[in-house]
Amino acid sequence: MTRNDPIKHFFIWPALLIVLLISIFPLVYSLTTSFMSMRLVPPTPARFVGLGNYIDLLQNPRFWHVAGTTTLIAFISVGLQYVIGLSVALALNSKVPGEGIFRVSFLLPMLVAPVAVALIARQVLNPTMGPLNELMTALGFPNLPFLTQTSWALGSIIAVEVWQWTPFVILMLLAGLQTLPDDVYEAAALENATPWQQFRDITFPMLLPISVAVVFIRLIESYKIIDTVFVMTGGGPGISTETLTLFAYQEGFKKFNLGYTSALSFLFLIVITVIGLVYLAVLKPYLEKHK
Amino acid sequence: MSVRTLKGKRRWLALGGCLIWLAITFFPLYWVLITSFKTPIAVVGGPTYLPFVDFEPSLTAWSELLSGQRGQFFNTFWASTIIGLSASIAATFIGAMAAYALVRFTFRFRLLSALIFVAIAFGGFLLGRHVLGFGQGISLIYSFVAALALAIVSSRFRLPGPELGNNDIVFWFVSQRMFPPIVAAFALFLMYTEMGKLGFKLVDSYIGLTFAYIAFSLPIVIWLMRDFFEALPVEVEEAAMVDNVPSWRIFFGIVLPMSKPGLIATFMITLAFVWNEFLFALFLTNSKWQTLPILVAGQNSQRGDEWWAISAAALVAIIPMMVMAGLLSRLMRSGLLLGAIK
Repeated sequence: MTRNDPIKHFFIWPALLIVLLISIFPLVYSLTTSFMSMRLVPPTPARFVGLGNYIDLLQNPRFWHVAGTTTLIAFISVGLQYVIGLSVALALNSKVPGEGIFRVSFLLPMLVAPVAVALIARQVLNPTMGPLNELMTALGFPNLPFLTQTSWALGSIIAVEVWQWTPFVILMLLAGLQTLPDDVYEAAALENATPWQQFRDITFPMLLPISVAVVFIRLIESYKIIDTVFVMTGGGPGISTETLTLFAYQEGFKKFNLGYTSALSFLFLIVITVIGLVYLAVLKPYLEKHK
Repeated sequence: MSVRTLKGKRRWLALGGCLIWLAITFFPLYWVLITSFKTPIAVVGGPTYLPFVDFEPSLTAWSELLSGQRGQFFNTFWASTIIGLSASIAATFIGAMAAYALVRFTFRFRLLSALIFVAIAFGGFLLGRHVLGFGQGISLIYSFVAALALAIVSSRFRLPGPELGNNDIVFWFVSQRMFPPIVAAFALFLMYTEMGKLGFKLVDSYIGLTFAYIAFSLPIVIWLMRDFFEALPVEVEEAAMVDNVPSWRIFFGIVLPMSKPGLIATFMITLAFVWNEFLFALFLTNSKWQTLPILVAGQNSQRGDEWWAISAAALVAIIPMMVMAGLLSRLMRSGLLLGAIK
């Protein structure tokens, strides 16, 4: 139930003004630029080209490749983050021994700068100086090309993403689990429901709203991935691990092709919006069923 | 003992899983810590794992770092701290207010008012920039003020078209996070440069970077705090309203203390985001207010595979967040007890 009170304006306007002010210029600027041919190096005067940049991009196989790579990284890593995060949150919520220590230490990776994480990953995955390859050799594998072969490089990036962002999922789901009322579980215990039944019929449905929110946030953030890839592989080998933001960076700040970059970012925005809307539309019936 | 506590074999299985995840979490951190104490020769010679057992720890990397041989660490550290704390406190506070308003108050406006805002903002900017020949900064300010004023005035009238409510405002806030940050960072840099020409120094300034961080943290703060406020029981507030307690006192005196765990979690996420943020700091600062991630990333390109030095630099960026996590988790546990609403 919501109420009406003039004080509401005092509450909402600071946030509204700040976000409007900071967000409207990038929007106006890049949307107008996306319809122009505009380069800074060599400096060429802005020329209106209509949808030219967009058509160029849609015909560029590199764009589709990059979009595919980003989608692959985002979906696999967020999926793994959710599965691991939910398991750990459930374990912590059921008071495993040493729960207090786990709770603090599991948050740590989230707090490390992605740039630093990528640098650490490069050390750990280094073919000669890194510990992981030594372990693999000891287990009888050949020296693995973690960062220099496409599938291994993609796997390494996904692993780093999972390492860094599962804590976020744990934090949010744990907060959600703690708000669930005890009496439902007491009733379930009286009915002799097995732990699996309790999870399937109580915990998971009641946790669904916050799960949807967490996965949504992580998906959108994962689509913007740049720092990790930039430091770990630089998009290589070739362009096989290049992501959308990295592609935009290459076009915008190596080639200073501003019109093309702006068009790219709007296509990027459309891709994310479509994925977000589809995601919410698919999940809506479930959310309403359990309300 | 709660009903949800696991018993018997399952408890040990859960413990085993947690221990495995703990090892995965800690190994890279342990690795960067010991690498920072290795000598260059020990690093190149292949992986070693235990200090004093298979390598002799040395302070080379740290003494080089602290004596300033690898850039202005103290300055950068200070800049990161001030900007991080002020931006995340401000964002949590302003965002919590907005989230509360969106959960408890009714907002209604016509889609047409929002469209008027967008149209005037775009049109005014293009008009000022390309027809009247103003600078980008001036045309932006004029068109923004005009658009806002017209949108607010228009919302006073009964306009046709669909009506929007609280959920649409939340969606608008959250959708701001979808915008690719690389374009936002570059456009913001242009905007700040234009403002600099008008006499407001925003590039490489405290205000400029902090303001950008507040704006980019707000959507996530509003989204998170909204969930926490929605979970609060409305009865307490209704009881207060019966006693004629004004809304602002309900918010500051009752709602904020009750949602302490949520506020702390949100603050922590915001601080981590601001402290570690790379792109905006790269574009909006150059020397005085440069933050740690830029300095750390610079170590790699400047010095190649000097892992001992890179590790020490990375740790300077990592350790404060670890300390904060320890402090806040303690706060959070006591906060959770205080805020137990059941």
